[in-house]
Amino acid sequence: MRRRVRVPRLSALVLAPALLQVGSPYVGHGFPPHWGWYIVLYFFLGGLSAGTYFIATLLLLSGDPRDREAVHLGYRVSFPLLLVCALILILDLGVPIRFWHMLVASQRIPALLFKPWSPISLGIWILSVFALFSAAAFVWSLERTGRLRWGPAVRMIAWAQGRPRALMVAWNAVGTFFGFGLAGYTGVLISATTIPVWHNARLMGALFLVSATSTSYALLVLLLLRRGAGRDEPTIAKLARADRFSMVLELALIALLLLILGRTARPLVSGGFGVLFWLGVVGVGLLIPLLLRRRAVLGWAGHRQEMIAAVCVLVGGLLLRFVVVVSPQFPAVSLWAL
Amino acid sequence: MAKGFYTDTTVCIGCKACQAACHQWNELPALNDGVVELTGDSYDNTGRLSAVDWRHVRFIEQIPEDRSQDGFLKGSRWLMMSDVCKHCVRAGCLEVCPTGAIIRTEFDSVYIQQDVCNGCRACIPACPFGVVDIGKDGKAHKCTLCYDRMQHGMEPACAQACPTDSIRFGDVPELMALADQRVADLRAAGVPAYVYGKEEIVGGLNCFFLLVDQPEVYGLPSQPRLPSEHVVEGLGLSALTAAAVTVGSVVAFRKERMDGMGGDGGEPAPVPPARPIGTPAPAVPGRDTVAFMHAIHGANESSRTRRPASEPMPAAGACGQGGCGGACGCHA
Repeated sequence: MRRRVRVPRLSALVLAPALLQVGSPYVGHGFPPHWGWYIVLYFFLGGLSAGTYFIATLLLLSGDPRDREAVHLGYRVSFPLLLVCALILILDLGVPIRFWHMLVASQRIPALLFKPWSPISLGIWILSVFALFSAAAFVWSLERTGRLRWGPAVRMIAWAQGRPRALMVAWNAVGTFFGFGLAGYTGVLISATTIPVWHNARLMGALFLVSATSTSYALLVLLLLRRGAGRDEPTIAKLARADRFSMVLELALIALLLLILGRTARPLVSGGFGVLFWLGVVGVGLLIPLLLRRRAVLGWAGHRQEMIAAVCVLVGGLLLRFVVVVSPQFPAVSLWAL
Repeated sequence: MAKGFYTDTTVCIGCKACQAACHQWNELPALNDGVVELTGDSYDNTGRLSAVDWRHVRFIEQIPEDRSQDGFLKGSRWLMMSDVCKHCVRAGCLEVCPTGAIIRTEFDSVYIQQDVCNGCRACIPACPFGVVDIGKDGKAHKCTLCYDRMQHGMEPACAQACPTDSIRFGDVPELMALADQRVADLRAAGVPAYVYGKEEIVGGLNCFFLLVDQPEVYGLPSQPRLPSEHVVEGLGLSALTAAAVTVGSVVAFRKERMDGMGGDGGEPAPVPPARPIGTPAPAVPGRDTVAFMHAIHGANESSRTRRPASEPMPAAGACGQGGCGGACGCHA
């Protein structure tokens, strides 16, 4: 009697990535766009801006008064980071003075220009709309903590506070939606190219999004810890726990992404960039923080251990963007020469 | 009617008249400011299509392993091909351009408006053929199909300059009929010729080629893809992940709360009186790292820094200040 039972199981294992693949990976060639540090930083800081807004909103809506400081911190970090993003995006352009050509049809002023199928156009609009929400939250936070006493702002916030709670929830949900858009579209933008490792990486948007939330949790934990040990413990515990979930999801996404990329993943995972990917992104950025949050090490104080874990997550997040953006463009460059 | 080029590589002699004519008409500067760097690759010293070379003649020397006179005569071949922007029917660069600088003209050619382009460089990796390049002025450049000449009824400079009619300009369907006839003739003579640029190549190329070897030999992808084909899928997967992250975060937040309620102390953690998030919080002094680790890892996990069982619970009010509102957890 033939043993046929195992065959479908095995083939399912092989087919799972193949189904996502939809045909063989694209192995053609496009020329590198010379996206460098500005873009790497933008991908990183944009993710942080979106992530901190998301976390602050979630904490605000969950309504625990102990999270008060984290809510304000999140909102007060998000908007300045977004401003930095806008600045470096403009500086990265070949003709920076024409940055507004992205939003306005320069030959048909004041007609607006929106091409949803072009990731950059989509992203610029997402960024612009998110900036409104982020700025509003920033002003709200300043006013609530007594740092801003400008009449119109105070009246505006007083008016907004008087609206029904459902409206406030809806406003924040829409803001978070655009925040997620900002965190994720950068990965989609990378895949809208003909450079094989980017083109085939249809999970890059998801990966960048998870990394954005994870690094944002780490940033908030770090900022809370810097305010002094112990003051915001319940919040820090929450954030660290949520970060752990994000990091496990990120590990899973990286594994799935490499499976989908197959041999086209070469620029990412081999050579000098490969060392950076495995040791920096996976090791320092994910495994070490997961371990540090799992158990006490070397008798380090809890908050110090937590601080180190948070720094590791942030470094890993930056390295992820660096490796993804730079390695396929300069495969011949040895990392040591950079 | 779509206008384009039919480049018959079998009659190209590699004279580079097209490249020179293109430079002259479009007033393109010399590559690398005229500093000559020999590539060492046959007669090719411009390397690739670029911001200043909108035509590029490729030289492909195929030399057999057998270098004897006989083997050489039988097996060697010198292929030449004048490469150019393909003015694709479905153009990747045009799809991704966020400023609307790249347009399709009335001749169905793909044109970069220099007064609109702001140099975001999205079009460069979007082109599956590596045609578009960024110039020293920070803007994207490529072949215009001599849009200015066409508006005056003239053919592009390269096609006019070509001495062997390897480059022909005209209406695409007519050119395709010519090419099909030429392929039939060559095949009858035993040459494995074919047209590169029919519908299966990104919807068709308005500037197509007649080749006699694999596309890769000429530096062309055999199966080019469009950049935008994964955009919707990528956005969908991102949205799913966003939902997962949100759910995961909410669960993590609630779990912490539940752990706090049902910790090993047996007593639920006191919740301070509701205070609007906007109001300033009273100062709370720091706690020791033991309790901190508990808070982070949950009371059930074993940890070296865990409080020994012999140590008594901190007395109520140990924080020394009543102003903590109970948030320190050390007193009710």
